[in-house]
Amino acid sequence: MNAQYKKGVLELCVLSLLIKRDCYGYEIADFLSGHIDIADGTVYPLLRKLKADGLLTTYLQEESGGPPRKYYKLTELGRETYKNDRAEYLKFAQSVKKLLEDESND
Amino acid sequence: MTKREFMTLLSDELRKRKITDTEDIIEEYEQHFAFKLADGFSEEEIAARLGDPADIAAQFNSAPQPGAKPSAVTTWLWLVWSDLFFGIFAVLLLSFGIVLAACVLSFGVTGVCLIADISRLPFVTFPEMPYWCGAILGISLLALCTLSVAGCIWYFAFYRQIFRSYGRFHRNALASAKGEASLPALPVSPRFSAKNRRRLRSFALISLALFVVCFVLSFIACCLSAGSLQFWHTWGWFMN
Repeated sequence: MNAQYKKGVLELCVLSLLIKRDCYGYEIADFLSGHIDIADGTVYPLLRKLKADGLLTTYLQEESGGPPRKYYKLTELGRETYKNDRAEYLKFAQSVKKLLEDESND
Repeated sequence: MTKREFMTLLSDELRKRKITDTEDIIEEYEQHFAFKLADGFSEEEIAARLGDPADIAAQFNSAPQPGAKPSAVTTWLWLVWSDLFFGIFAVLLLSFGIVLAACVLSFGVTGVCLIADISRLPFVTFPEMPYWCGAILGISLLALCTLSVAGCIWYFAFYRQIFRSYGRFHRNALASAKGEASLPALPVSPRFSAKNRRRLRSFALISLALFVVCFVLSFIACCLSAGSLQFWHTWGWFMN
């Protein structure tokens, strides 16, 4: 599948993960690469971009027996963006699905 | 590719593209390796799954740099300003704490004197009253003293926590000016363990109950022994 195409949807997936709870970077990378076929390394640039866009913030949390982990947390803007983009994407995906299935029926 | 080769390549590529906060980025990949290694993957496998370092660095390049933060000077000015107010506030709160400690001392001394029947101290003369009335009043004052002790303990824990909380705010403000990650904010209410909190509360409640009961009792005792509701007039407390 086209890498460029995946990247756009990937942002939405990160947001959908973070709306449930705050995660540290590795959790997100591991979860996404487990579900979608992407290189593990692409998630970190994405997180940084989302942070620069103001959709995420980070904080450090001390862990017992290890260096402090950097957690990612949705901002208010991130929540709103997720809600809008999710609705938009689902609508879009539905239309695409309908179109593609119509074609196979012909 | 080993971990070290991957990291060297990645930091070289990042530097070539003049990307800021490279340590922060490197740290994320270091942690990624640490987690995967703990899961039993080899360094080569992990590096292969991560992808080409040059590709990764290019993706950081397309991401806008975290910017639009207030300049360090503005942050410093704000911090000096808020430190000034916090300082005044802290002195004000400390003076209240000193008053509370003085209450402990004065209630304690007065209570002991009434019970031990010491009617004269340097600079102080106690009003006249029958010994038993004074003794019960003394007990109630001692209870008030221990109540104030509980109040003092809570108050100074609160005072300490305010400083810690403000210190964390101060640290985070500086960190965000430098573009570093911030630590979680600290609550202002004092932190006690559940056990100590329960102890302090029961200690305060028992003191309060003892104070109220003994105070009412001593009032009744005074009224009875003076034969008047306004015993202070009978005993001429406020006349010179």
